[in-house]
Amino acid sequence: MTDDSGHTMNKAPDRPRESMCVYAPMDATECKSATADRHTGIQQRACFPVRLRLILAFATIFVYCAGVTLWTIYVLPAVHHKIRFLELADAYRHETAQMRRFEKNYFLYGTHLQDALLHTQKARSILADNEADILKVMSRGRLTAMQKSLASYAAGLQKLAGGHSPEVRAAVQHRLRKYGHRLTADADAFSIQERRALDRTFSLLRTGPLILLAVLMVILFAAAWHINRKIVTALGRLTDFTERIAAGDYTRITLKKTCRDEFTQLATAMNQMIDEIEKRQEILVQSHKIRAIGNLVAGVAHELNNPLNNILLTAVSLQESYADLPPAKALEMLADVVGETERSREIVRNLLDFARQREREIKCLDLVEMLGRAIRLVSSQARMSKIRIETCIPDNLPPVHSDRQLLIQLFVNLLLNAVDALSQNAHGRIAVTVDAPTQAEYVAVSITDNGPGIPRRLQDRIFDPFFTTKPEGRGTGLGLSVSRNIIEQLGGFMRVASEVGKGATFTVYLPVTRVPH
Amino acid sequence: MNQKLKIMVVDDEAIVGKRLKPSLESSGYTVETFGDGRSAIARLAKERFDIVITDVRMDDVDGIQILEYVRANIPQTKVILITGYASVDLARRALDKGAFDFIAKPFKPGDLRTVIEKAARAPSA
Repeated sequence: MTDDSGHTMNKAPDRPRESMCVYAPMDATECKSATADRHTGIQQRACFPVRLRLILAFATIFVYCAGVTLWTIYVLPAVHHKIRFLELADAYRHETAQMRRFEKNYFLYGTHLQDALLHTQKARSILADNEADILKVMSRGRLTAMQKSLASYAAGLQKLAGGHSPEVRAAVQHRLRKYGHRLTADADAFSIQERRALDRTFSLLRTGPLILLAVLMVILFAAAWHINRKIVTALGRLTDFTERIAAGDYTRITLKKTCRDEFTQLATAMNQMIDEIEKRQEILVQSHKIRAIGNLVAGVAHELNNPLNNILLTAVSLQESYADLPPAKALEMLADVVGETERSREIVRNLLDFARQREREIKCLDLVEMLGRAIRLVSSQARMSKIRIETCIPDNLPPVHSDRQLLIQLFVNLLLNAVDALSQNAHGRIAVTVDAPTQAEYVAVSITDNGPGIPRRLQDRIFDPFFTTKPEGRGTGLGLSVSRNIIEQLGGFMRVASEVGKGATFTVYLPVTRVPH
Repeated sequence: MNQKLKIMVVDDEAIVGKRLKPSLESSGYTVETFGDGRSAIARLAKERFDIVITDVRMDDVDGIQILEYVRANIPQTKVILITGYASVDLARRALDKGAFDFIAKPFKPGDLRTVIEKAARAPSA
């Protein structure tokens, strides 16, 4: 199965190896070269590391926030400017209002003409001084019109100041009223326009941040989702993978990402680590085998004593009675010597066969012969503890493809465990049974002892490396974990059935070789 | 030493009995050989033997059980145990149980004769 981040993770350590990996190859040598190929292939992919992604994400957020800040820095002075400008517009309106007031006063009471002129002047200077700014908010035409009106109004006042006849006065008054009215309207419009502009700006200032916040939320959400997908999910999957390794499943991760990043490096490093672990596991299996050999050697040495004794007795007897011995009897004794020597050879050969280191060789094996050899190896151990080994092996067992060394080592491990379990037992019995139902995928080999049994709470832990209930120095705790490792290498699995006081049965399931028709 | 000593040899290895019988008989002893513990004990119940030489490790009834039977029922009979080299300390413990001596495989007929002579000389328990 693949996930969307591109790593292939395979589950089910209980199922046989063949159906487990779609991508990872079957045996060790093929796997190693495949890993090497994948290593070189990966170097050629583009590099888009997680670090770069994070930097980009944070940079984007920073740029965005900087943009918002800069925008604020721009807008506030603009607002400030607008307020100042509004004050200007209001000032202009104030001047025009004042000039019209004094105009009315003059026409009513004949006073304050100079005041009117003063304010008119002030109004003109406001327009003149701020022409540039005013042109930003209104057209030159409108401004010119205002200035012209103002000029005409001022001219009218000047005329009044310079002395006049009643007809001129009436004409001027009419004119003043006309322009004055226009000026007041213009000033009001100007002021209102600016007030409205300021209101709009404030409105923008109110809603702008909310929109910017919403955009920021989208950006953050996208960044978080992306980080979660790339980093957190990938980490979770790698954690699962690590747990799988710890449980003894050494399938490699296959890398299918289109770009190379830190997780690719991590996965590659972990695959290398698994290579190392497998090597160590090999060493462990070997060293445990040597320990097993040590266990067996005592039994074998003891066993050798018998043929050696027979040879010695026969040869010395032949020496002592040589003179009077009939040739037929002498020949019979020599035949005994030869027979006992051959017997010794078998005993030694069996052990050497087991001890020898050989390359893995998967062959079609006769299960009966394998079991026979394993039982033979432990038989003197068993006899020393007065344990009886009984077998119930049917004929017509289906063929099993396996490595001979590993298979025998597996059975020897389990048998030695049974012998150990029965060491305190007066009537120890070990039963070796084979069950091969037709059409089944597996052959089941069961080794049952009538020992003290294994408590249910320990049944999961007994396969853990270094777990042992034997007293200090007696057991390494590696036997069952090595056995489990072997059975998994052979494509099978192992089960234990036991109750306290009722003995234990270890069942090894070996895959059957099916030849397609 | 003058009367014919009756010796029983028990060992599940057939050749042991086959070779020891003529060898010990030529030294003047009466020898009966058995291949398993059960028939040996059955015989001991019927006939008195001076010395019982038995292999320690046998299936079913082993040498220790024979020793125990002899100590319990016919304590005058001396028991000599045949041991494998590896289990010499087991034999030492058996000496505490009342075995007269032990001899380790592989041995020569002459070695056994020496032990038998020692047993013959020793006073009865």
